[in-house]
Amino acid sequence: MSLKTDPSRIFLQVVLIVFFSLIIGVVYNSISKEGITVKGNWSKKVVSDSLIVPYSYTKDDPPAISLGQAMTYFQTHNTIFLDARLESDYKAGHIPRALNLPFEEFEQYYPKVEPLLSRDKNIITYCDGTECEASLFLARLLRTKGFGNLKIFFGGWTEWNKAGLPVQKSN
Amino acid sequence: MRELIGSKWLVLLFRLVVGITFLYASLDKIAHPDQFAHIVYNYKILPGFFINIFAITLPWIELFCGLFLILGLFIESSSILLGLLLVSFTIALSVNFLKGIDIACGCFTTDPNAKKEGAWLLIRDLVLLLMSLQILFYNRDFLSLQKIFLKNRARL
Repeated sequence: MSLKTDPSRIFLQVVLIVFFSLIIGVVYNSISKEGITVKGNWSKKVVSDSLIVPYSYTKDDPPAISLGQAMTYFQTHNTIFLDARLESDYKAGHIPRALNLPFEEFEQYYPKVEPLLSRDKNIITYCDGTECEASLFLARLLRTKGFGNLKIFFGGWTEWNKAGLPVQKSN
Repeated sequence: MRELIGSKWLVLLFRLVVGITFLYASLDKIAHPDQFAHIVYNYKILPGFFINIFAITLPWIELFCGLFLILGLFIESSSILLGLLLVSFTIALSVNFLKGIDIACGCFTTDPNAKKEGAWLLIRDLVLLLMSLQILFYNRDFLSLQKIFLKNRARL
């Protein structure tokens, strides 16, 4: 049980393998159709003081709303909240009256949820918080289904719960 | 028992298992760098500016080391590199496991399936790590290109 090769030689080989992988990776990436930018932008976008959105959010997406706006909509009753998290998370606690439409299992849940939705009402999607994108992806999917009054509450369950607002649990 | 663990056949078997695993894993990442970069982002460990260059380079390290292990070239260096990668994957997975982040969606979840999947990934990484260590410490050049090269050099 011992190294046969001189450790400094191994170290050199390791550095060389990493170096060549870097060079070949960058070269291949630059000629590949699937190539990505070498320096990606993965930081969260800050729209305003109270609004942080995931990096993948673009200006063509449905509007993002803050916790304050979400609370206002919550009181109007002309609004349906859609919880994009998995059913187990939804059951453990969600915004009162929110319906569960997990983005990851959209096809399975959509037929059940669709009759409860209305195109005249505001639909606000949310998931766990600014770290998750299920709310964004769900809103994009719903837009393709013809829903127009969509909004995304990126603060999500985390912000709502932290603010001490009413919550509902399901069994 | 010691003889079995250090046997040249077992080293060869582990070289093939670890080598093929990493070779296979690298191909999908090379073909879809955007998806892989997203997964790296979901781990929430690396700083944003480093994510893409990491996603571009890492699959090629896996590809070369995997190939080297299968062919029997630079066996020690490749097993050390793959071992280091496995240690960092295990740490990254454990950190997210403890934080309760579902790697698939990069979000918090209590979904039992996500937990099960995380545990399975951890076990897989640890088994591969043990195999890499065995390859490193019982470095046998049985059925390897480096043995052929060394023989030729000795003859010269």
